[in-house]
Amino acid sequence: MTDSSEPAPDGGYAGATDELPAATDEGGHATTESHGLPPYGSVKRWFVTTNHKDVGILYTVTALFFLVFGGVLALLMRVELFAPGASVLSAIGYNQTVSTHGLIMVFWFLSPFAFGFANYVVPLQIGAKDLAFPRLNALSYWLYLFSGLLLGVSFFQGGTFSGGWTMYAPLNIPTYTPSIGASTAILALVLFVASVTVSSVNFLTTMHRMRAEGLTMRRLPIFTWTILLTVWMMLFAFAALLAALMILSSDRLLGTTYFAVTSPGGSILWTHLFWFFGHPEVYIVFFPALGVMAETFQTFTGRRIVGRKWFIAAMVLVALQSFVVWMHHMFLTSINLQIKTLFMATTIGISLPFDLMVFSLIYTTIKGKVRFATPFLFTFGALILFIVGGITGVFLGAVVLDYQFRGTYWVVAHFHYVMVGGVTALIGGLYYWFPKMTGKMYDEFLGKVHFVLYFIGFNLLYFPMFVAWETPRRVFEYPEALTVWHQLATVGGFILGASFLVMFYNLTRSLVDGEAATGNPWAYSTTAEWAIPSPPPLENFPGVPSYRSGSLDFLGGSGATDGGEVTDGGAVVARDGQAHETGTQAAHAGEPESHASIWPFVLSVGAFFVFLGLSGLQEGSFVPGLAGDVYLALALVGGTITMGSFVGFGLEHFHAPTGPFGESWPFEAVENTKLGVWIFLASDVVLFGAFIGTYVFVRISAGWTGWELVPGDPIPGLMNTYLLLTSSFTVILALVAAEKKSRWGVIASLTTTILLGIGFLVNKGLEWNHLFHEGIAISSNVRTSTFFLTTGLHAAHVVSGLVIAVYLLARAWRGAYLDDERPIEYFGLYWHFVDIVWLFLFPLFYIL
Amino acid sequence: MHPMALFPAFVAPLQSGLVPDGGRDEIFRAIFVVFLVLGTIVGVVVIGYMLYNGYKFRDRGDRDGEDGIDRPELGELPEGGGGGRKLALSLLLSALIVITLITWTYFALVDVETRAVENDDTLNIQVEGYQFGWEFIYPNGNTSDTLRVPEDRTVRLTVTSRDVFHNFGIPAFKMKTDALPGQTTDTWFQPNETGTYQAQCFELCGAGHSAMNANVSVMEPEAYEQWYANTTSDDAASGNATGTTAATAGNATTANNGTTPA
Repeated sequence: MTDSSEPAPDGGYAGATDELPAATDEGGHATTESHGLPPYGSVKRWFVTTNHKDVGILYTVTALFFLVFGGVLALLMRVELFAPGASVLSAIGYNQTVSTHGLIMVFWFLSPFAFGFANYVVPLQIGAKDLAFPRLNALSYWLYLFSGLLLGVSFFQGGTFSGGWTMYAPLNIPTYTPSIGASTAILALVLFVASVTVSSVNFLTTMHRMRAEGLTMRRLPIFTWTILLTVWMMLFAFAALLAALMILSSDRLLGTTYFAVTSPGGSILWTHLFWFFGHPEVYIVFFPALGVMAETFQTFTGRRIVGRKWFIAAMVLVALQSFVVWMHHMFLTSINLQIKTLFMATTIGISLPFDLMVFSLIYTTIKGKVRFATPFLFTFGALILFIVGGITGVFLGAVVLDYQFRGTYWVVAHFHYVMVGGVTALIGGLYYWFPKMTGKMYDEFLGKVHFVLYFIGFNLLYFPMFVAWETPRRVFEYPEALTVWHQLATVGGFILGASFLVMFYNLTRSLVDGEAATGNPWAYSTTAEWAIPSPPPLENFPGVPSYRSGSLDFLGGSGATDGGEVTDGGAVVARDGQAHETGTQAAHAGEPESHASIWPFVLSVGAFFVFLGLSGLQEGSFVPGLAGDVYLALALVGGTITMGSFVGFGLEHFHAPTGPFGESWPFEAVENTKLGVWIFLASDVVLFGAFIGTYVFVRISAGWTGWELVPGDPIPGLMNTYLLLTSSFTVILALVAAEKKSRWGVIASLTTTILLGIGFLVNKGLEWNHLFHEGIAISSNVRTSTFFLTTGLHAAHVVSGLVIAVYLLARAWRGAYLDDERPIEYFGLYWHFVDIVWLFLFPLFYIL
Repeated sequence: MHPMALFPAFVAPLQSGLVPDGGRDEIFRAIFVVFLVLGTIVGVVVIGYMLYNGYKFRDRGDRDGEDGIDRPELGELPEGGGGGRKLALSLLLSALIVITLITWTYFALVDVETRAVENDDTLNIQVEGYQFGWEFIYPNGNTSDTLRVPEDRTVRLTVTSRDVFHNFGIPAFKMKTDALPGQTTDTWFQPNETGTYQAQCFELCGAGHSAMNANVSVMEPEAYEQWYANTTSDDAASGNATGTTAATAGNATTANNGTTPA
């Protein structure tokens, strides 16, 4: 292997050398090649960066922080469990520890850790300069960080949420978990889901639209495949979780009664909503680990993965099936034998593709040159742990056994073997990509020490839980006879924790004075990130990456990759011939491209304060006294900051990557922003689908025919239907006017749209006001709760649409959109969608 | 509808002796042991094979020499990859093991779910969970915080909750079911040894969850009859209160976790 980091002598490629990884940005070409970003050494850089590699590092570091946070909570539990009975924690303190340990590890550690790699590596693997929407990527990160900080704050607001990470109803409502901190924890999750949704839209657009020439879907590296499927699952699963969390927040803050004890089927409703998200979530956190395993198995065995296409097919199958297994978490609720049978079958069905993947990985080692370097030790170990986790999972697939394992340490042990088994692979990924991300090699000996301690600690921690399986979950009391097993587990937990100290020491030390890493420190690696220097320059590639010749070349640039793969210097071919600029500033040719933006950070700060302020709401009003005023002030200040940063976002000159891109199947004809809008709407469909499904579920539970409609009079609803339909029509008129280059036509049509939208809201306001005067309130009963919350969510969509429409109008006034009418078209997509949703809501809530 | 009506084909194996019979604890133990033995064998074989390959094909540096094997190269496009047949065979084998095992347990599931119906002599007791304890309501209206049952008689429990989501389980009898507010679930067990056992809550339900236990006393049938005859519903207050709660649950769905709705 040769050092691949040959700096290009001329421009276009900021040549980083291995010795001076950070020199690129500190040098004299800061204006052209730094993309307006301050140098790495500057703190400011990390607040304004939108580069996928920087964001990837931010994700990784932050996720490791939450690993420590969640890990300390776990150790607290293990100390408490060293002997039966309470010792260091109070009863409610223990429940808070259990709950936040789960929430932090599942949400704030596992996926973000994987997405650190995804951010860093996926664009490199697919040959993209950056993600499709770099600022949204930074926004995802900052929302993630601030949602985590919000969870941290919740501990100090009378105690955080204590109802378990599954948040079962009705323990999750203020009647039983009254602390303000509990509401904050739920709101922190809402903010986290916002981050995930933004990120999903971004990744899906990037991965479908921006691949290098010749890199068709079936040729994508397996790690990229796992991220692609993960993100698709995220898009839909997290939309369902968002619906669940919005309803729960509404119960906690506004006083709706979805989950109240008196509400028919409230408990079961929550389990459906939660597990419809929760089971795909298992694969969402595990797939990236699988991807790391596949990559490292190929690299460290020097063999191509066996049955690659079957491996991918198996994953696609799992991703699809993951949405039809959720009720296996509910075998002991009131579902009947037929449904149990069905879900037992789907559960067994989803386990089989994993068998294939495991065999595929094992067979890959045959005839290999297996090198047990630290990354491979971890992923090889991860496969062993996953096999144990898989076998013990089959026990749970047998319903008769599941009946007894439900709520016990068998489940705890099983899912830790699977999920923390996944973490094991991701730790392998951290060692694997550490040289790429930092340009420094970690210490191999300390890496091996870490693995040995980790593997011993892991098994000592989780295996005794199988033996002591009769311990109920989430208790600190257990039979004396099981004490020895719990003590072993506690010892194992501390060994596992200590092993991370070795890792942190190793990586920090290596970062400071580690050996410089070459572009490709691993023999037999194949993916594109290893064909460029470590760390890669800001532009990523020395030319346009292409696989047209059957292997990776960099076209157009003068830089060569390793091993004599010299570019042919051929011109870049604009394949799809639609070299649209997504940014509106493309005309400013002389202006240096700026890739710095402070707005993602500011916006997230604003959102943090809004949510913190909202946590002070109970039953629709702020808590009494000074505290309430403070919460109100926080919400108002946060709201102002948020709105201000939206304006800042809109007015900022920013360059998103523009085409032409190599491979964009199946969206060749759909420009990036448009695809982003479509993908976002797809998640919105699931959100409304969950709300409507919830309404139908509640109504059936209460008795469909005995259900009284909340609005006595359907006429206001009918009027609103016509208003919205007409407003959709005027948006189309605006688009036509823009195509005909009629400025006044655009202005008139948009103004009419806005007026019709306002008319809709005024009409709704009058209707609601009338209902309130009749004594019908949002908290009256579950009928009024579903009516006000579902139509209220729709109204909030109308309000958002109007805000965008006003922005469009302001720009149209100054003559925008006559040359490029696409913003109006994309706004139209959203507006028509909101319109269509109303066509479902109107009959459901006014007529049937 | 009777759930067995949909599964007539499953009745035959139930009587053949192939499927574990007896109390729920015996059924559980029989299946658990089979799973444990097979699971251990499969685990040892697969992990052993993995380790063996890892060792056999370890990189021995120069001693390997040129093996003539086509190794992956940087920047290559991944292929579809061969090995489909080997994978398919392995998958088939593992699928066979898993599916036969699960199908086998399915007969036991159907058995567990229908058992109580076959015996008219069941004792019906209502269970109500609350933060943080259990109340048992007997057919004569008597309430108790200890579950007293006679030996060798099938006990059928109808379980609900007054407040949050609980889960009622008696580990000794391998019996467990969710306690949901506004709904009831049914389950059964058959104690065959006198003594005192413990019932516990298996779903996080608040600060007192860890200690949400109840005693289960399995009595000699005569002793039980004597005790039962001496109880009355004179603690009418609590009896009425629970009656109201049960009525609230009235139009809710009923289902079974180990037995059948009446």
